[in-house]
Amino acid sequence: MTTYTVYKEQLPRLFEKWSEAHALYVPARLREGFYDLVPWKPGLEIAWDFDVAYNSPKRFLLPPRETLITFNRKTCEAAPVFEAPAQILFGVHPYDVKAINQLDQLLETGAPDQNYVRRRAATVIMAFEPLTVSPSAFWATVGAATAAHGYDLYWTKIGPASFTVEVGSQRGEELLAMGGPLLPATAGDKEGARRAKARIVFKARRSGLRYNWEETPRLLAKCWDSPLWRRYSQMCLACGSCNLVCPTCYCFDIREEADDQLEEGIRYREWDGCMLESFAKVAGNHNFRPKAQDRYRHRYFRKGKYIYDKIGELGCVGCGRCVRACTAGIANPLKVFNELWEETTHEH
Amino acid sequence: MAKPRIAFFDFAGCEGDQLQIANLEERLLDILGHVEVVSFREVATGHSDDYDVAFVEGSITRPEDEIRLKEIRKNAKVLVALGACAAIGGINCLKNFLAENVYREEVYGSSARWFSTYAARPLKSVVKVDAEVPGCPIDPTEFARITKELLLGRAPWISDFPVCVECKQAGNVCRYEMGKMCLGIITRAGCKAACVSQGAHCWGCRGLVPGANLDAARIVMDRPGTSRKAIQDLLRFFLGDTGAAL
Amino acid sequence: MNTKPFSPYVPRPVTLVEKTKLSDFVTRFTFEQDNGKPLAHKPGQFVNLSVYGIGEAPFSISSPPRRTHNTFEIAVRKIGAVTGALHALEPGAKVGLRGPYGSSFPVMKFVGKDVLIVAGGLGYIPLRSLLFYQLRHRDEFGRMVLMVGTREPKERIFVDEIADLAKSGDVEVLETVDMPDNTWKGNVGVITTLLPKAELDPGNTYVAMVGPPIMYRFVIAECRKKGIASDQIFVSLERKMKCGLGKCGHCQINELNACIDGPVFCYTDIEAYQEAI
Repeated sequence: MTTYTVYKEQLPRLFEKWSEAHALYVPARLREGFYDLVPWKPGLEIAWDFDVAYNSPKRFLLPPRETLITFNRKTCEAAPVFEAPAQILFGVHPYDVKAINQLDQLLETGAPDQNYVRRRAATVIMAFEPLTVSPSAFWATVGAATAAHGYDLYWTKIGPASFTVEVGSQRGEELLAMGGPLLPATAGDKEGARRAKARIVFKARRSGLRYNWEETPRLLAKCWDSPLWRRYSQMCLACGSCNLVCPTCYCFDIREEADDQLEEGIRYREWDGCMLESFAKVAGNHNFRPKAQDRYRHRYFRKGKYIYDKIGELGCVGCGRCVRACTAGIANPLKVFNELWEETTHEH
Repeated sequence: MAKPRIAFFDFAGCEGDQLQIANLEERLLDILGHVEVVSFREVATGHSDDYDVAFVEGSITRPEDEIRLKEIRKNAKVLVALGACAAIGGINCLKNFLAENVYREEVYGSSARWFSTYAARPLKSVVKVDAEVPGCPIDPTEFARITKELLLGRAPWISDFPVCVECKQAGNVCRYEMGKMCLGIITRAGCKAACVSQGAHCWGCRGLVPGANLDAARIVMDRPGTSRKAIQDLLRFFLGDTGAAL
Repeated sequence: MNTKPFSPYVPRPVTLVEKTKLSDFVTRFTFEQDNGKPLAHKPGQFVNLSVYGIGEAPFSISSPPRRTHNTFEIAVRKIGAVTGALHALEPGAKVGLRGPYGSSFPVMKFVGKDVLIVAGGLGYIPLRSLLFYQLRHRDEFGRMVLMVGTREPKERIFVDEIADLAKSGDVEVLETVDMPDNTWKGNVGVITTLLPKAELDPGNTYVAMVGPPIMYRFVIAECRKKGIASDQIFVSLERKMKCGLGKCGHCQINELNACIDGPVFCYTDIEAYQEAI
């Protein structure tokens, strides 16, 4: 793919152009140590060195609450509701790109989720090579340091005021060209990008799995009855935070509300999570995962085995958001997988 | 079919929940168009004992309240607890942690002996409650939804998960990551994490979430820089009638 | 021409044409598709029904597939919001429908074989679809044995229908209740106590069972003890099917989605899944 060199001074003009027809989101500092993708406005300071966006990008593709249909109570006619604003996510780290790729696969297979599909199609992903690593992140050891596809442009900061931009789609290239003539990256600039990647991956490897991540499903297969599940889940508040901050968790509940005339209404979906107590409870109150340990284990199996068995990748991209979000300190795929590995290794 | 008749009642409380309902303004007219209001002090005068649905605000703080509440229960097909005081006892229960002579003296001074009062309690301690609209104050949009669900003949749904869920949906930075205390981890959601979204923390006004892991919550709250007293105060603020406040 | 954009979450209208009380708790509902087409379901599949303003819930289809009629039946126990609202409907009322969804009993495999149908509690409802489909092609199957277990006599459903089946001679019917009252003259005990009463040819018998979660383990163990192989046992597992499309995650059984991989499973395929049985 073509790679161009872009200078920082070109960005305000590009952002301005892009925001004419798109909602543009860029990384910014919320407060000391907290960053997020926020709506761009002229003069906003971009936090190039953000370690992780506090909120995962899934909210742009699978919003916390989304209307699916409108209905008429009398005629029982229903119509779909699609909302797919044109948007550009500028500054998506590769592990989050991988997470989006995973959502693409899971929501578009079988009966494609049209609401997701349309939002995704209207969303431009501009990946960005991280410059720092979140203390709770471990993406480099779960195979999520590199996103092979899934972006329209891939930005790498190679100097104080320069970037290489690798083109991932025609749409991306056209957006880039809106800033004026494109400057092909020199061999030196491309080498700079390669070094930037190597540098950050080296940094990110500081903490990691004690085994090859591809062993995780086989490891979990041996660990259904591990005492670890109970040990950790005793502290579980069943608050769902680990699910909700996870860039690959996409479970949802469906609810509805009639309008005040009781004639029409909307049916919507809202983020849900398998760690919530009533997640697997059916009418009549039978709960198929009644205990915290059942739910806790399910989440790790889903991340480490079930998703892998479906698509050949872990359901965890190592962003570390759940590690941070868990007030009880028990959500930590790295720690859980490593401890299970130790447990099973010591058995032999 | 005749319109269901509804009535509003209040016990110990500020009537703030009925005020919240009045704040629905035009929406209220639409919703109340499906019913006949026989008693609603915040909006209109007049009263009748012939009603199907009773919305009851406030907590029970005097023995004679029980008689009145049981009467309401007898008249109503559906009894709905409106707001924290009615649903969980709420801040009225703060007095339950004081000796009776202390709070009597504090409230009524030298004329204390002329007033009857006892430990504050939620409606459900006295009568069967069919549904609740939680919160202090209630969220008017939730009241509207619950009322519509009752009108459509379903048991109203209220969330059965903690505030954390809605806080994450809102994208707030977790109070615990800011070194602050927050009761969102054990409190029933449904408020759209209003207090946290406004920059404060959760006070627990919507009551405990079913199955709240209080042991874990106490460990989570007990962090360096947080006094046990501060934890206790927060847990007693709205949750005085629950196991959280021990 | 209908140009409405497609979404798998949009139900289509169906009309309630008949409502029959089956017990104090259970009612049968017959619906007619407004589009005039047959539902084209297979025995064991389910539909999602919407009572707008109340919600959507999954229901097993209780009638056999019909190629020429646009009606189908479900039978519902009043237990939650949607089932409560269904009970309040009168013929002529409309509801929304999505589906049919999910896997079905592999009737073709049963051809030429003996078939044992084990129905615990409300399990008869989905099995009825299979049973009557088979009866329509009665000659193509060997023995048909129906075992029905109910907690109490007053909870029995389709009582006359099951009595007629027994009389017809097409189906060998064995019934039991867990807790008899003084009207009950039949077998007493859990449904597994019926298995020794039917002399089954294990190599030639396929089993289809639906019942409360607790039932499966015991009935399967009993069947296995009799020498019926795992791949001859088919179960239908209830879970919290919400979206019906394998997306929302609520109905997962380990890595399986009950709504698309199930609800009907061959026991061989789920034996290894701890959350299944």
